[in-house]
Amino acid sequence: MVKQLFGLKLRLLANGYRRSPLQVFGIIVGLLYALGAAGVTVAGLTALRRVGPDLAGSITVTVGSIIVLGFLLVPLAFGTEGPLHPRAFSLFGLSANHLAAALAITSLISLPALAITAIAIAQVVIWARDPLSTILAILSAVLIVATCLLGAGIARVIASVLLATRRACEVATLLLIAVLVLLAPAVALFSSVDWNRAALGSVKSVADVAGWTPFGAAWSAPADAASGNGWGAVLKLLIAVVAVALLWLVWCALVRRSLIAPERRESASHDGGLGWFGVLPNTPAGTIAARSVTYWIRDPRYRTPLLAVPVAPLLIVIVLAAAGVPGTVLALIPVPVMCLFLAWLTHNDVANDSSALWLHLASNTPGWADRLGRIAPALVIGVPLIAIGSPIAAAISGVDGALLLLIGVSSGLLCAGLGVSSVLSARFPYPAVLPGDSPFAQPLAGANAAGLIQSLSFLAPIALSLPALGCAVLGLLHPGGSWPMVSLLVGVGMGLPLLALGVIWGGRIFMRRSPELLALSMRS
Amino acid sequence: MRAVVPPNAVPPTAVQPDAVQPDAVPPITSPPITTSAPNARSRPITTTKTLAAAKTIVDDTLLPAAAAATAVIADRTHVLVVTDLTKRFGETVAVDHISLSVPAGTMFGIVGPHGAGKTTTLSMVTGLLRPDGGSVLVHGVEVWANPAVAQRNIGALPDRLRLFDRLTGRQMLYYAGTLRGLDAPTVNQRSTELAMALGLEDALGRLVCDYSTGMAKKIALACAMIHSPRLLVLDEPFESVDPVSAANITAILQGYVGAGGTVVLSSHSLEVIQRICDVVAIMVSGSVLASGTIAEVRGTGSLEERFLDLVAGHPQAKGLEWLSSFSD
Repeated sequence: MVKQLFGLKLRLLANGYRRSPLQVFGIIVGLLYALGAAGVTVAGLTALRRVGPDLAGSITVTVGSIIVLGFLLVPLAFGTEGPLHPRAFSLFGLSANHLAAALAITSLISLPALAITAIAIAQVVIWARDPLSTILAILSAVLIVATCLLGAGIARVIASVLLATRRACEVATLLLIAVLVLLAPAVALFSSVDWNRAALGSVKSVADVAGWTPFGAAWSAPADAASGNGWGAVLKLLIAVVAVALLWLVWCALVRRSLIAPERRESASHDGGLGWFGVLPNTPAGTIAARSVTYWIRDPRYRTPLLAVPVAPLLIVIVLAAAGVPGTVLALIPVPVMCLFLAWLTHNDVANDSSALWLHLASNTPGWADRLGRIAPALVIGVPLIAIGSPIAAAISGVDGALLLLIGVSSGLLCAGLGVSSVLSARFPYPAVLPGDSPFAQPLAGANAAGLIQSLSFLAPIALSLPALGCAVLGLLHPGGSWPMVSLLVGVGMGLPLLALGVIWGGRIFMRRSPELLALSMRS
Repeated sequence: MRAVVPPNAVPPTAVQPDAVQPDAVPPITSPPITTSAPNARSRPITTTKTLAAAKTIVDDTLLPAAAAATAVIADRTHVLVVTDLTKRFGETVAVDHISLSVPAGTMFGIVGPHGAGKTTTLSMVTGLLRPDGGSVLVHGVEVWANPAVAQRNIGALPDRLRLFDRLTGRQMLYYAGTLRGLDAPTVNQRSTELAMALGLEDALGRLVCDYSTGMAKKIALACAMIHSPRLLVLDEPFESVDPVSAANITAILQGYVGAGGTVVLSSHSLEVIQRICDVVAIMVSGSVLASGTIAEVRGTGSLEERFLDLVAGHPQAKGLEWLSSFSD
């Protein structure tokens, strides 16, 4: 059975790459990023070979605990039910324990598994200093890989049960949005920390505690042995063994349960009321806004791209920080970049409706109401983001006039972006993932023009915001002047008319072309 | 009603009578229509027949209808007037210069095999698909010239189009009602009453994507009726609906027609059409081959015989001998 599952898994991996060129490009970038991260970690760890056992131990235990925690939490956050979910095998009449073992072994074929194996081997390299440490390090490596893979498997199954209900999904999304709004200042703060002094002391104290938990025990055992604490090392190894054994039992129990338990269904005891529909005004625009907000919270096709909003500025800040850009400037980056991405998310909104768009046609919905309702969620998130994020980022940056130019550039980008999206989503929709499919699935129809429209809807708002951006840059170059104020006036003064223009123009296009839009959505 | 139609107890579609009995005929007879050459050549003849048939509707159908008392046949007594409606998809002519008139207060059935152009016609009537030619007047207003006024009078149930199914049933009804310009108290009251009438009251809190096909059909029907339109255009309203709900929907529609409303519905089930419709049009390959009251269309034989006649006879099923040599 292990052999068949291995074959199945390899086939699934290979088929994942049969996609459009743009997606393959994205996957390759992601792969390189993952390999790079693993490579940097491995290189960093092996470099610790020359460092004293105490310091090297502190660092490996801290980093290692974070990695193990990541293997447990990341699947929980996404909760995707992959093709190798134990439930998928329930009709084959396999023995639960055999299946549990086979699935656990098969989980070795995946990028995260490769990465953690490489890291675990790097950890052996560090501690190959004396026989006892070496043996312990090899045992630890096996335990680390087992902990991570079993932990991830358990987390995936639990997530598929927990997130099966609508309410749980919605709570998860609301948390995500809260994190998103809070992350802007956090990224700014992160970029201004003086890493040289503050970090080392705290790493030591974290490692001392984490080493006795199942997260860090396996990492800590060889380190203790190397620094001469033999009993401590054995005890920690024992903790790690017990942890793996417990994880194994839980995994077997979950597999057994998945084989017989039906998929969890929503219990429909209560009506649930109107939700956002009761809050927003009782007009076509208001009710479409309520529907859009509900979809952003409920539909994974909206929820998952939301993740890009906080991640993108994080990557930009990290790259720029590595290039030596000062923290005062870095702190100004997250809020505008988040606004740009937030507006960009709405640029293919009509296609996400699929053929459900007929209801807007049959009701002869005014075009402007359709446009305004669809961009409402981006405004609902974007306006608080600017209102809360800008003052905090400005305070962290400390640059004179930072608040004014941040508000100017951010609202300029948000409004111009939403205006552009309003026009483009009515004029140039391209095939999107069907409702109910995974956000990572491939749209059924070819997406030749998709790349062009994606770039256009991303670059046009930047071009339209150039005046505000230019004033902001002048304000940074000549502190104390009135440029930040000009940036604010230009940003808001150009953004709002552009938004209104986009909604009205997009609305006209929508009214004129709605039967063609519906025909297009039925083809995909 | 709650006890009779528990939403979870919808029986599997395979046991529904209308899916088994008359339905089994069109799939076998339809391939010759679309593929065989003689039929394609006979198209011009059927077209002229169509126009003649359309005229007979205008002239004749009012006589047996409830409104027959009026001697003056004003245009506004026809809630729906379709003239020369045409739609091409590339080389294929999906709807071929169709003309229909639907008198107010009738249940009008369009019946035909798969691919006859029923859905295409109804989509053009409801303003979802732009016609290549012809006109659609609803209550005297051209749908494609003045959609704002015309569509207010139409309630549409399209076939095979999605709903915004990440909304709960209650939210879905509220969405449809508000888009039609109803105020909140009206929408809420009508939602509750429609849900009661259709046996959906226990399902209003669940997401529409978790509904069975039949329940989704019923919530879509409720969305079509929520703004109390003059004309209901229903595409396959009884498909995958369980027998109890079908009887329930029929009763609601008959009440609506009794109160002066007009229903145009399509079906590939003759049995349904024969049972509930006053006027019927038989549509094959994009043309109306016969229309009038059931009695007029039926003539001396049964409606099914007449239908199969029009659909170019019923060839015996050939091949498939292996089907009766059962494997062990």
